[in-house]
Amino acid sequence: MIHIGEPIFILMMIITMAGALTTVLSASVIYALIGLVATMFGISGLYIYLNAPFLAMMQILIYVGAITILIAFAIMLAGPFYKRPREWNGITKFIAALIVSLISFFMFFTIIMKVPWNEGKGTFNLLTKDIGRALFDRYAFSFELISLVIIVSIIGAIMLAMLSKGEK
Amino acid sequence: MIEGFLSNNLNTYLFVGLFLLSCGILGVIYRRTLIAMLISIELIMNGAGLNFVAFNRFISPEGPDGMIFTLFIMGLAAAEAAIALAIIILIFRKYRSIESAEMEEMKD
Repeated sequence: MIHIGEPIFILMMIITMAGALTTVLSASVIYALIGLVATMFGISGLYIYLNAPFLAMMQILIYVGAITILIAFAIMLAGPFYKRPREWNGITKFIAALIVSLISFFMFFTIIMKVPWNEGKGTFNLLTKDIGRALFDRYAFSFELISLVIIVSIIGAIMLAMLSKGEK
Repeated sequence: MIEGFLSNNLNTYLFVGLFLLSCGILGVIYRRTLIAMLISIELIMNGAGLNFVAFNRFISPEGPDGMIFTLFIMGLAAAEAAIALAIIILIFRKYRSIESAEMEEMKD
């Protein structure tokens, strides 16, 4: 008797992997962006299977809602489509990149399969309340540092946009 | 609670994260334009976040440490995307191209 959650999980894995392959191998940047959106939805489904629904919601909000729209605007601002060259670089560079990624893949795969992870025994049902409490208790300093980094990056992006107005 | 062989196994999630890492490395080396390289870096960051949550779920299910690290990764990815896209738009204004092979001169 197979459980009903299992085919949906396999579907989420397939969506994630197919989205990643589309992101890497597609010929146009906008198709790569659509593949990134599919990957984000698949990963949020995997987060739901990991009992972290808050992170799934945050994944959809931040990545699909914010970062993807930002990249889409950058693609639209960076020139018209027909002037842009195709995305492939020649077969030799593709073979070189494939060798590098396959070497890293099999190296980490053997490490993952060899290491005996001693899994914890407790049940994992953490609420959003626990995340918020740990965020303001143990990780308060890191949290403030992240907010400082985001403010500095926003100011830096605005300064870059302002300083480049004069030159062409 | 959801029971199942694949969805209740740590190695499955580690495999998906590893697949995202390999695709990101392939994209960073292979793609031509800077925006596609940035998208590939986002793939790598998402694989890292998935690994954090999987380790938190299976190895140490007492505290929410891995989920908090994933939230930090999301915030840093947002900041990095904002600043990198501003730089890419500047590069496009200067060189009229967003190909990585055309950025040869650093001075000027």
